[in-house]
Amino acid sequence: MDLALSLGQLLAEAPPPKAIDFVTLLNQLLNGIGIVGILLLTGLGLAITFGVMRIINLAHGEFIMLGAYTTFLLQKNFKMDLLLTIPFAFIVTAIIGALLELTIIRRLYGRPLETLLATWGLSIVIQGVVKLIFTAQLRYVKAPPYIKGNWRLAEIGGQAIEISYYRLFIIFVALALFGITAFLLYKTTFGRQVRAVTQNRDMAKCLGVNTGLVDMATFAYGCGLAGVAGSVISSLKSVAPPMGQDYLVDAWMTVVTGGVDKLVGVLAGSFLIGQSNAVLAYLLNDPTARVIVLAAVIVLIRYRPEGLFTVQKRG
Amino acid sequence: MKSRIPPIILGGISRRRFIQYGSLAVGSSIVAACSSGGGESTTSSSPGASPVASTAGGEGIKVGVMYSTTGTIAIVEKSLQDATFLAIEQINEGKGPWSGKQGIKGKKIDMAVVNPDSNWDLYNQMSKRLIDEDKVVCVLGCYTSASRKSVLPVFEEKDSILYYPVYYEGNECSSNVFYTGAAPNQQITDSIPYCAKNFGKKGFFIGSDYIYPKESNRIAKAELVKAGGEVVGDEYAALGTTEFITIINKIKQAKPDFVLSNLVGDSIPAFYKQYKDAGISPEDIPIMAYPTTEEEVLAMGPEFAEGHYTSFNYFQTVDTPENKAFVEQFKAKFGDDRVTNGVMEAAYFQTFFMAQAMEKVLDEGKEINTATLREATRGQVFNAPQGTVKIDPDNYHTYLYSRIGKWKSDGQADIIFSTKAAVKPIPWSQALYKGRICVHSTPDKRGNPIVETKKDVPIEFLKV
Repeated sequence: MDLALSLGQLLAEAPPPKAIDFVTLLNQLLNGIGIVGILLLTGLGLAITFGVMRIINLAHGEFIMLGAYTTFLLQKNFKMDLLLTIPFAFIVTAIIGALLELTIIRRLYGRPLETLLATWGLSIVIQGVVKLIFTAQLRYVKAPPYIKGNWRLAEIGGQAIEISYYRLFIIFVALALFGITAFLLYKTTFGRQVRAVTQNRDMAKCLGVNTGLVDMATFAYGCGLAGVAGSVISSLKSVAPPMGQDYLVDAWMTVVTGGVDKLVGVLAGSFLIGQSNAVLAYLLNDPTARVIVLAAVIVLIRYRPEGLFTVQKRG
Repeated sequence: MKSRIPPIILGGISRRRFIQYGSLAVGSSIVAACSSGGGESTTSSSPGASPVASTAGGEGIKVGVMYSTTGTIAIVEKSLQDATFLAIEQINEGKGPWSGKQGIKGKKIDMAVVNPDSNWDLYNQMSKRLIDEDKVVCVLGCYTSASRKSVLPVFEEKDSILYYPVYYEGNECSSNVFYTGAAPNQQITDSIPYCAKNFGKKGFFIGSDYIYPKESNRIAKAELVKAGGEVVGDEYAALGTTEFITIINKIKQAKPDFVLSNLVGDSIPAFYKQYKDAGISPEDIPIMAYPTTEEEVLAMGPEFAEGHYTSFNYFQTVDTPENKAFVEQFKAKFGDDRVTNGVMEAAYFQTFFMAQAMEKVLDEGKEINTATLREATRGQVFNAPQGTVKIDPDNYHTYLYSRIGKWKSDGQADIIFSTKAAVKPIPWSQALYKGRICVHSTPDKRGNPIVETKKDVPIEFLKV
């Protein structure tokens, strides 16, 4: 009741819908694609750690932050280009992820509640350690100088329909990672082992799969993806210890909406959430759009707890 | 389901496992110890001047320092704490503006440092603790309006004093707070007519979604209408938002002459970067902002702010001998890569207001308590880095300079407008509440201090 009331209030506060301008709307839809790119990029790592491994990873945002700091450090000390730092961001966060899997997560498989608490604690600890080392100051990462400006698709009546090259670059990276991940998971021996281990751990072990190694590698890969996301996003905003928190909720919404069983769910989830966010924010305003999207996701989970894309399982 | 040995049950731990855990714990504590001892005083337990050391000298004066060094606001409040530590160190050791003296008449200032973790409720609890248990005579602290509103009832109920160093939205006048940041008429009242005159009549207003930006924009919009301008947009983003693609698209559609930004925190670098990325140059639509200072410009990279404007009382480029010394001493203590900004400057000079007032109380042979400190603080004058400032004896706000800076490629501001002297503070916006002023007729008057003059309040400058 209260929620409905305050929602009504929010809607009333929003400015009346303007005469919809065709060009601006097209631009906004393109902007939505830009948001989709970021959601896909940040959600992909979680699709591995939660979707495949069923680890409720609340420290996901912190791995994004660690990737961003890796880029910042390399750029500051070695004057490296942002693009060159991406592999390092992957390696550093993957190694940290592997170590944490080995020391903490490994002991908690099959106990989702404890995992949730442990990763939450982990996120606080990682933030704290980073704050001790780098202080809480905002840090600056330079975008690659050759990716700037806008790609002009068309011009109608003096108004341009355009999207910035950096947003396109983000979408490109996100789709590339998506492709690589899908290939790894569905077309390689490693991917088959990963799926075997998550579906039936004991059976996989009996058949000679080194489950410990597979678990560690999978978790490390998921963390590495988060690191890449942090590295790519870092130049769009500033780098600071709490930055990961902003992406955690969005990443979770994306993964849960799309459905956790299939990788394509992340793609669908990010597209749905990104575009509806963009359109609603344009018609109403930003905070209201966030509330509506969040409410819609809650309703969706109520009626389809498995998300939009699921595989039929035999009982 | 395979059962595993639960790792943390006492008695179930084998010797080997105990050694493993033990060494892990020792190792991590060593790491923690090393990183906190690494030169910078990042934790509240190791501030610049140790409170333990100064208590040893006997009967110091206890002062609370309340800034968050963890949580979302830590990015800003940490630098306020740094500026406060610098001032207290200078007072205790007789350096900087305090040279030739030693503490407050030989007494050292003892800091009780607390960290409210960016949590508004904790500010309330911590301020109670400072006043009741640590028995401080006054508190230096708070940044956001939310935290100030949270502690205000505590300071009024227990009758203690808060020195608050932040530009804010006005509409408040407590006899328990000394406001040393800008009131609306020292920031908004000059910058909006400047925009209307130099950029054009159409303004687009944006801000973070909480009390200060909304209230500040409400005043700014009223000022723009008063100056004959037109509000073509008004948009807010949740605190911490870093996705501005939609708002920028709306700005493109509305085609304003200028954008007024009251975004705070992480949102600032993200907005400026995406603004430039979207192809809007400062020549097309300049941004006038209040919370964008040297620190945020450094964090986003100066090329994104270059050509845009900020209205503030102080910039690092202010040309006074006091400022030169302040910047030099700050960099010497906290590192050459640090910058100073207006809020830090206020946190710095308000500490000297407090010290001068304490000195005055002791000179008069009285004991330092809330009543004597309040009486001594009102009317204090200090040669701050921004110029000579004074605490208004009537409304406990501060006479401050009003300046507008245009950002250069090196991340510093070119000051293109400055009042000749500090402007008298008026806590209520005159565009919204014509003739409303605040007068504490007696120092600790508890009743309503608001006076409705119904007339235009003249702009007064500090006569030195």
